[in-house]
Amino acid sequence: MSHPSRWTSRLALVGIATLVFAACTGAATPSPSTPTAPPDATPVTSAAPYDGLAYPETGEAPCGVGDYTGNFKKVTAIDAKTVEFQLCAPDVAFLAKIAFSAFGIQDSDYIAAHMGDGSILDQPNGTGPYKLKAWDRGSRLVLEAFDGYWGEKALAPNVEFRWSDEAAQRLLELQSGAVDGIDNPGADDIETIKNSGSLAFFEREGLNTLYLGFNTTIKPWTNQKIRQAIAMGVDRQRIVDNFYPPGSEVASHFTPCAIPFGCEGNDYYTFDATAAKALLAEGMAEEGITTLTTKIQFRAAVRGYLPDPPQIATEVSQQLKNNLGIIATPELQESGAFLDANSAGTLEGIFLLGWGADYPDTSNFLDYHFGPGSGVKFGKPFDDVAAAIQEGGSASADADRAAAYGTANNLIKEYVPAVVMIHGGSGTAFLADVTGAHASPLSTELFSVVDPGGRDTLVWMQNAEPLSLYCGDESDGETLRACEQINESLYGYEVGGTKAIPSLATECTSNADLTVWTCTLRDGVKFHDGADLDANDVVVSYALQWDANHPLHKGRSGAFEYFPGLFGGFLNPPPPAS
Amino acid sequence: MTASNDSPAMVTADPLAATHPASLWRDTLGGILRQRSAIVGLAILTLLVAMAVFAPLIATHDPTQTLLGFEEGVAKRSAPCIHAFGCPETEPEHYFGTDGNFRDVFSRVVFGTQTSLTVGFTAIGLAILFGTMIGAVAGYAGGWLDNIMMRIMDVLLAFPSLLLAIIIVTALGQGLINALLAIGIVSIPVYARIVRSSVLSTREADYVTAAQALGESTSGILLRRVLPNSMTPLIVQATLGIGGAVLEIAALAFVGVIGNLETPEWGSMIALERNQLFLAPHIILAPGLAITLTVLGFNLLGDGLRDALDPRLNR
Repeated sequence: MSHPSRWTSRLALVGIATLVFAACTGAATPSPSTPTAPPDATPVTSAAPYDGLAYPETGEAPCGVGDYTGNFKKVTAIDAKTVEFQLCAPDVAFLAKIAFSAFGIQDSDYIAAHMGDGSILDQPNGTGPYKLKAWDRGSRLVLEAFDGYWGEKALAPNVEFRWSDEAAQRLLELQSGAVDGIDNPGADDIETIKNSGSLAFFEREGLNTLYLGFNTTIKPWTNQKIRQAIAMGVDRQRIVDNFYPPGSEVASHFTPCAIPFGCEGNDYYTFDATAAKALLAEGMAEEGITTLTTKIQFRAAVRGYLPDPPQIATEVSQQLKNNLGIIATPELQESGAFLDANSAGTLEGIFLLGWGADYPDTSNFLDYHFGPGSGVKFGKPFDDVAAAIQEGGSASADADRAAAYGTANNLIKEYVPAVVMIHGGSGTAFLADVTGAHASPLSTELFSVVDPGGRDTLVWMQNAEPLSLYCGDESDGETLRACEQINESLYGYEVGGTKAIPSLATECTSNADLTVWTCTLRDGVKFHDGADLDANDVVVSYALQWDANHPLHKGRSGAFEYFPGLFGGFLNPPPPAS
Repeated sequence: MTASNDSPAMVTADPLAATHPASLWRDTLGGILRQRSAIVGLAILTLLVAMAVFAPLIATHDPTQTLLGFEEGVAKRSAPCIHAFGCPETEPEHYFGTDGNFRDVFSRVVFGTQTSLTVGFTAIGLAILFGTMIGAVAGYAGGWLDNIMMRIMDVLLAFPSLLLAIIIVTALGQGLINALLAIGIVSIPVYARIVRSSVLSTREADYVTAAQALGESTSGILLRRVLPNSMTPLIVQATLGIGGAVLEIAALAFVGVIGNLETPEWGSMIALERNQLFLAPHIILAPGLAITLTVLGFNLLGDGLRDALDPRLNR
């Protein structure tokens, strides 16, 4: 039997040594039950112990067990200004992901009061440089500068969003001076803008991808040779040359090469009509068919990857007919119905769709489309592709990431769930006297740094009206841009660039294996209603998206598409649709 | 009503002619030919029908074919080029230019005539068929059946026709056939009401009473006595209605509910190139003019028919 006093003193020494080590490394995972004092806590929180929330309240998410495919293990408010994210597996792109508009931080009390009745959708309460002034549905959205903003105050007192899906109308409004800036000028109008002394064009890097998708569980798309034949039989360069603005290029990989690790693996198929025909004949013989008649399904929404949807759909249809003898009738569908059908995997024809970067990481392109949580857009996900993508997203060494993404890209090329087509250039145009104008590669222009020539209101015209102003449950770029002015995430993206920089968090640091991220919140941040930002706001903002059974998991449609797309899956995922 | 009674010129020229009544059609044609506007309408429609029938002979190119890679020197959205009018021989000849997909606009306009007229005639034909049946039964039977049928027609009439057509196409699914059915369905109430009112005014006529007294069956009276005498307003309305149907199909195609963009159709041609209004207006002008001419033709002819068939205007 040992002496109790001796063991007590040894334990005390070990305890002190552990605390000193933890303080020095800064990588420890503090227990929620023993919060450390916040270095810059507000008087309210320093006066009383902080009642920090954790999600799940007890225990942690069952990583890799049962139907849980997500990467979040636990989110904890360590103290009023510190939040800890525990992950199931390392995530190299964590900072880039949390900077995304869908993860804007909301006041926990405000969410509790306004999510249930849906009023949060059109009465946002963010921390951004602008707050909502008026929203005349169908007409305009007006924002006004937020006096209590923690950062640089907005240059223009007001920002007004207008919209038109007609490129000609947008240009006309700009030329007449009725608006100060427009998004996505028509491909044929760019030259006019560049040659005009009163207008300025800002090119947007083509961080997007147009693809021709197939549901690989529906015949004849079950046949890989037929899919490969189509990939070889479309002259993508001809489409770029004749239907895309300058700055566009034929895609060599699904992810644009400007994104790190985007272009690992072999280049995509080159156009070869003869080889494509032979392969198609083999595939059709295997399927027992002599003719192939189908549809090219698409929506009219103009995006950087698809500047002229009907004309590009018609061109693809013509090429399939002339090069391969496939009769593919272009079929225009209503945008919402088309996207819903795509998500549900019910599009039977070839679908013309694309993807614009939300954050500058390969995982943004590959995970959403081909990862384990990618759903049934292309039929059942290919297990080996999903595994390679998962490996690429969790590897911390560059060489390992490159190898994994190379494998994934090669498999995507072989299986052809989608024909990788084009990275489309696009841009914005402003009146020449507007300063600070820019085009964000992520299509999230920040208007607080734009001065509309000394005028009171910066009038911006984009393609479409925002769907709501709660972006946790939105995926539409026009909506995200509006949210970006009102809400902020823990990190943000640099103006006109893709680098993730601190926003509501002054920094987020990780442990060595990138599975625990600790974020320190900025002091003095207020929501538009005057409430202070604290760590519980962050926990609730994430928890309601993460847990499909959370009482506040409502949003606009309840789909919360981005969370599972970026972080692998929901906690308590809904049963798969039959 | 007989044609002889409506033709005072014939009566004064030869009183015996009254014993040889002229046909409705011959009389109508005579009435039309007496009006310049109706002649213009008839000429326009004759031209359009000929264009539709002989489209493969008139069109210079395949209307769905992208000419890029098939025709040397073809340019996207090129201006009209007619060699006889001084366009250089080195440039490919396209009477109305080319569109954004390097297709010949003239050929698409010519084949678009087929689409528009087919939809117009078929949709209104269906509307007349069902509208006549509904109107005749409702008007002749009267009572609760009349009430129910006409209230249903009132409900259909309560919606703006284009909106109702869009709703129907949305419900039935995209496509030209469904659009045609939608236009036909929304047109039914107009014809049902016209026929019903004619039936109501003729069912008490002496010749109907006489037929009833002679023991003729109800269906016989309806088909042989009542309906032939309700034809005049129906023909006039149908002529005007086809013009309206052409406009409606163009509108449906413009808003994109037809779905298929390859079929040459005037409304979708305008929709596809509407952003080029200032850069290449000729691409929009050609199908726009075709729609205008067609509707004008039917309207002029309809007005002429109304005047020719109205006994009060023939005095």
